[in-house]
Amino acid sequence: MIRRGNALKRTAGVVMALGLVATACSSSSDGDADSNTGDSVATEDTAADTAADTDDVEVTQSSGGRLATVQAAGVLECGGNDTLPGFGIIDADGNFSGFDVDFCKVIAAAVLGDSEAVNVTPLVAAQRFPTLQSGEIDVLIRNTTWTASRDGAEQANFLQTTFFDGQGFMVRADSGIASIADASNTTICVLTGTTTLLNLNAVLGDRGIPFTALEFESNDELQPAFVAEQCEVWTSDASQLAAFAANLDVETSILPDIISKEPLGPVVADGDTEWAQVVNWAVMATIQAEEFGITSENIGSFADSEDSGIRRFLGLAIDDGDGNQVIAEVGLGLPTDFASNIISQVGNYGEIFERNLAPLSLSRGPNALWTDGGLMYVPPFR
Amino acid sequence: MLERLLRLAIILGIFAVLYIAFWKVRSSSRNDADEPPPWRDSRVLVVAAQVAALGLIWSAADYLWANFRARTADIGLELDFGFLDQPSGISIADNPLNSNAAIREALIQGVKNTFLVIIIGIPLALILGTLIGIARLSTNWLLSKIATAYVEFFRNIPVLLVIVLTWTIFLNAFPPVRISWLPFGETFIFNNLRFGFPSIVGGTNFGTFQIIVALALIASAAVWVWRSRLFDRSGTPHHRVLYGLGTFVAISVAGFIALGGPFDITTPEIIDRVYVGGVTMIMPYAAVMLGLVLYTASHIAEIVRGSILSVAKGQVEAGNALALNSFQRYRFVILPQAFRVAFPPLINQFLNYTKNSSLAFAVGFAEITGVIQNLFGQSRPAPQLLLILMIVYLVFSLVLSAIGNLINKRLQIVGR
Repeated sequence: MIRRGNALKRTAGVVMALGLVATACSSSSDGDADSNTGDSVATEDTAADTAADTDDVEVTQSSGGRLATVQAAGVLECGGNDTLPGFGIIDADGNFSGFDVDFCKVIAAAVLGDSEAVNVTPLVAAQRFPTLQSGEIDVLIRNTTWTASRDGAEQANFLQTTFFDGQGFMVRADSGIASIADASNTTICVLTGTTTLLNLNAVLGDRGIPFTALEFESNDELQPAFVAEQCEVWTSDASQLAAFAANLDVETSILPDIISKEPLGPVVADGDTEWAQVVNWAVMATIQAEEFGITSENIGSFADSEDSGIRRFLGLAIDDGDGNQVIAEVGLGLPTDFASNIISQVGNYGEIFERNLAPLSLSRGPNALWTDGGLMYVPPFR
Repeated sequence: MLERLLRLAIILGIFAVLYIAFWKVRSSSRNDADEPPPWRDSRVLVVAAQVAALGLIWSAADYLWANFRARTADIGLELDFGFLDQPSGISIADNPLNSNAAIREALIQGVKNTFLVIIIGIPLALILGTLIGIARLSTNWLLSKIATAYVEFFRNIPVLLVIVLTWTIFLNAFPPVRISWLPFGETFIFNNLRFGFPSIVGGTNFGTFQIIVALALIASAAVWVWRSRLFDRSGTPHHRVLYGLGTFVAISVAGFIALGGPFDITTPEIIDRVYVGGVTMIMPYAAVMLGLVLYTASHIAEIVRGSILSVAKGQVEAGNALALNSFQRYRFVILPQAFRVAFPPLINQFLNYTKNSSLAFAVGFAEITGVIQNLFGQSRPAPQLLLILMIVYLVFSLVLSAIGNLINKRLQIVGR
């Protein structure tokens, strides 16, 4: 018996010792690979592996990693919503669709040339920033409001606003509540972990309107609570309320009070300017395309356009004056034809809006082009 | 990378030094002759294995920590706790917390809500579980089958589902606020947001009355002890519950009359959406607690049943031989012995209950997990908040186990 025990312990000892040596070896080879392949894409192959995260980070600082990571992975990891009709919703077959999801596709079309190379991860509101911070997702497009504290404390980098929204209130049509002044001592349903909750507390607090905030983690519970009249009022971004109202069996009305500015747009993590610019210009290309009047339908007819602005935008060759045909390179790290890919595969801003939000009877409002008196204005593509 | 290699080298160095040291100790203590070399000496290898295992764990932890630090440094995430003094901006339903109060205040309210779920729910789960466990062993066919069905149903569905189920039932079974159900002549309020119950409100002399009640409690405890001692000495039936309760009620009622009615009973009512009088309980709290109690009771029932079956059959027969009726048999023979067996696994269930209470936020009851989830979304640093959350549950669990172990120890001493 005693001898057997000793043999066991001895074997264990040897295995442990071997394991330690093996760890040391693999660690040192990691280090070697790192120093040899300073900026190569090969290093990025390992980035998909979480164990290699820090190596990834080290490369990031020298050569701008996220763009290379996405290109090497061949798929864009996009944080989205799966419960909000019109913006991000999942169907019975597991396919995501919606306004925000289309912008994930826009970025994939620009970076990878394939609008379908997107993997949408559904996130609840409270998860989205930790997930972005961890580097699990490349971009967060989940009806997320741009605020100073999020830019600052959340290490988030907000980009071109894709939808200008505002916080509104919805009540049952027969409730007798006509404005938030009538809503004192009501119970108000709101999602936890949102700026909506902060605005609600701040604005109604300032106006001295007492209320009970009933906070839910997901609309899956909030919606039945509103339908069962557990709360008289539902507050959220006005566009979301319109989206939900379209799917409810009860008659509702949206109060005239809009208590906040809610600019919604894509978000990336701080610390990678190159990637932020890529995402930003991909999104802005949809707005520029609408301004040019280029749609997914008629993009073919622009192939021989005489307008040098349009030619440059679509990555078509321009005569340099000496009879040479040159293709303008803007140096973003994107293919020269990224805008053509976006428009032909996903469409321009107006098309995306029409496809996803018009069915909810949302009008363009402040989201019209600047040429139509809206706020959609982007810098020139040159 | 270099730094981490250096640390590994240090670990290997410690490993080597210890290895050599043990070899030296071994060789100096004995004359070598037929001693095996150190790489085959189990005394050396046992220590070497432990040092190597420690080294492996340390380097794995070190690697993950370095990853974490690199990532947080990359995105500029601060890892201090200064944010706890910032205004939280959040609110908690039916809690007077000001939304401009510091985050630490919000966290304290969250812990308080968790505590409220635990302190009421665990005794309820214990009582319900014990009753069902006994019912499963009943000779009444219907009763035991109902108890079996109950256990099989609740034990085999996820606890989150039970909570959402009780919440959904409450949500749809009770009417909305504007047409609240007011049973017993409007002394209660039931709607799908809040439940209102009558309560007492202190009038003049209420402070004196509270002192009298406290004295009544002490007096009844003294009577209890006196009756117990009498019983031990002479065998006279003690009736200590009757005597104790009688003393308490007699003194309290006498005090109440003497002070001319020091308190009134108020009933809750809703005036213009505001609840006045009585005490109210928010529905999600009741739903969460009911869900957790139903679920935990199904597990407790099985523990109780198992431990009752573990009591030797001769004990039951001895009870029968003494002509004890079935209540007396349970009360004086079976349960005291079964409880001793049941207690350690019961503590486990109480810990599970505590941890499962974190699912409450799904239905809108803001206990500590809900509050912290909320703060995640309000630009507050997740690593620190998660650490706080883990510490809170750790403290709850450790305190519960400590109390449980204390009781367990006393049970063992009283017993054998």
